[in-house]
Amino acid sequence: MIAFIQQLRKAEIPVSVRYVLEFYDGIRRGLAPDLDRLFLLARLVFVKRVEHYDAFERVFAAFFLGKDSGQMPQWEETFAGKPFEEWLREQVAKGAISLDELRTFELDELLKRFWETMLKQEGEHHGGNRWIGTGGRSPFGHSGSSGGGVRVYGKGLHGTAQKVIDRRNYMNYSGKSALAGTNVGQALAALKNLKRAGPETELEIDETIHRTAKNGGEIELVFTKELRDRLKLVVLLDNGGYSMEPHLQLVKEVFGKMRDRFKDLKYYYFHNCLYGTVYEDMRRTVAVAWETLVSRGADTHLIVIGDANMAPSELMAANGSLYSHTHDRRPGIEWLKQLRAAFPASVWLNPIPRQYWAGESVTITHVGRIFPMEDLTLAGIKNGVQILSGGEY
Amino acid sequence: MKFEGTRNYYLGPELGEIVNIAIAMEKPLLLMGEAGTGKTRLAFEIAGAFGVTMEEARCKSTFKGEELCYVYDAVLRLNDSRFGSGESGRNVNDIWDYLRFGPIGRAFLAEDRRVLLIDEIDKTDSDTQDNLLDVLEDGSFIIREINHKVSACKKPVIIITSNAKRELSDPFLRRCFCHYIPFPGAEEIAIIVRLHFPDISGQLLDACLTEFYRLREGGFEKPPATAELLDWIGALRSSAETSPGSGGSLRHVGTLLKRSQDLLKFRGQGQRNPWR
Repeated sequence: MIAFIQQLRKAEIPVSVRYVLEFYDGIRRGLAPDLDRLFLLARLVFVKRVEHYDAFERVFAAFFLGKDSGQMPQWEETFAGKPFEEWLREQVAKGAISLDELRTFELDELLKRFWETMLKQEGEHHGGNRWIGTGGRSPFGHSGSSGGGVRVYGKGLHGTAQKVIDRRNYMNYSGKSALAGTNVGQALAALKNLKRAGPETELEIDETIHRTAKNGGEIELVFTKELRDRLKLVVLLDNGGYSMEPHLQLVKEVFGKMRDRFKDLKYYYFHNCLYGTVYEDMRRTVAVAWETLVSRGADTHLIVIGDANMAPSELMAANGSLYSHTHDRRPGIEWLKQLRAAFPASVWLNPIPRQYWAGESVTITHVGRIFPMEDLTLAGIKNGVQILSGGEY
Repeated sequence: MKFEGTRNYYLGPELGEIVNIAIAMEKPLLLMGEAGTGKTRLAFEIAGAFGVTMEEARCKSTFKGEELCYVYDAVLRLNDSRFGSGESGRNVNDIWDYLRFGPIGRAFLAEDRRVLLIDEIDKTDSDTQDNLLDVLEDGSFIIREINHKVSACKKPVIIITSNAKRELSDPFLRRCFCHYIPFPGAEEIAIIVRLHFPDISGQLLDACLTEFYRLREGGFEKPPATAELLDWIGALRSSAETSPGSGGSLRHVGTLLKRSQDLLKFRGQGQRNPWR
């Protein structure tokens, strides 16, 4: 069981003690008499977002539907088995739990503490990677209550769970999948968190009372319009080179769909790195003055979309620009720093998947030190939105 | 309580189990998935199958959460205090005459176990969702005006739906059992069609489904879903067509594609690509 939870966490599925106890509770209620229902119960308890479905199915399959298993685990062993007993013995030996407490504590309370410890010790290896074993009796006399209706012997059904998993229905929804036609909707959902929404009209009680009193008791209702906080957003797109083209279209599609949600949405273009000028059109003929762009920083969010993959000289050297006609003497990195300073709410989205950043180019790392950088996946966009909204992540 | 589906509604075995697990664990069940996968319908079917009353809350973006529990009509009371309550029988001095309970309030106050549907929760903002959290978890809320606690007599079966128009907050998700309903595959959808058109010929059904899934793959802004498919087949049958047509000459294509852009795209006159 511990290994299963560890696998889930390794697959970046958040697991809390609460879930583990809920899962245990479900099993005690006899909700998982076979592997199919175990699969559903575990998924309901542990997985809250469709992005994680695919990863969950992988972990579950590896654990329960492997070649040599396909058997129902013995729950007593997995929840209150050897690691738990060892932990309990250790706690008593250390004096963390006294024998008196041991008698009064419910098993649930002990299990909760046990799992809290387990989840904290991330990475530490406890027990084998299979949690099927022979049951043993707890020396502390708790096995009576733990045994209540828990022990389930499965028939080894490779039924619907296996079938469902094999279909990989949720692959496109995985947080790691790149932005594509099928999951644009989810990206949109993430972006919508950018704007605040609220009721438009409200009875203003103070003013109503004030006016009513002034009228000598004749009621006068005063309604106010609640302030609607509509966002301004600038999207800077790197449209240099063919590598960016497929992404551009998707990005524009996504933002275009929610155009009405922004007070102001502007796209500007640049090539590879910024050198004081961005352009209004894709062919980069209509220049926008740097001052104009930078002056908007205070009240506008900025999203830069680009691979940040360039020759180091483009970023670092004076006269780094690919184009001689810009006559710019400052290196790109200075311009980027200035831009970042001007836009406190800004994020860089990189279409190159995160795991390749380090290998792809040193410039990605450099740019990543200036701008908070996320990749252009569902998870990345969500994190990006969090950064823009000033939330923790 | 064990839910096994009703006659007019196709319940996949997986979904049936999930409903039963959620009921047994007394957790709110959050159903996500695109429109037309029968999320809302499920709540009605559960209520129907158990023969219990259903309380329905259709969310709006202006909701703050509290009105789903109760509304205190201060304006009416103010008005009554000024002009008298007339024949209404309301007593201005009794606040209870000016409290009206919303769906959550009614479900909690009822003596029988009810099914509570909170439809399209994603339309509300995250503050509202947070407000609803505690209420649903504890099975109680407080009427602030008189500091009176209303507790659920029997915790209702709670079904929440979301079209994923907006992300739901993590704490909200943590407290629910979440299930994402994928769009049904050809086998399942054939069963659904047959529930509505029991005498449809196998040939027509196959031809329709082939075209239907082709359209769904076609990258339209609003791909056709179950409701559109049923409308379409209904239209084909009422005009006594024996085949759905194919390719660019699908009959009654307007029942499948609703957006004008999609229709234009279908007819091969899609917008000029702004990228070239």
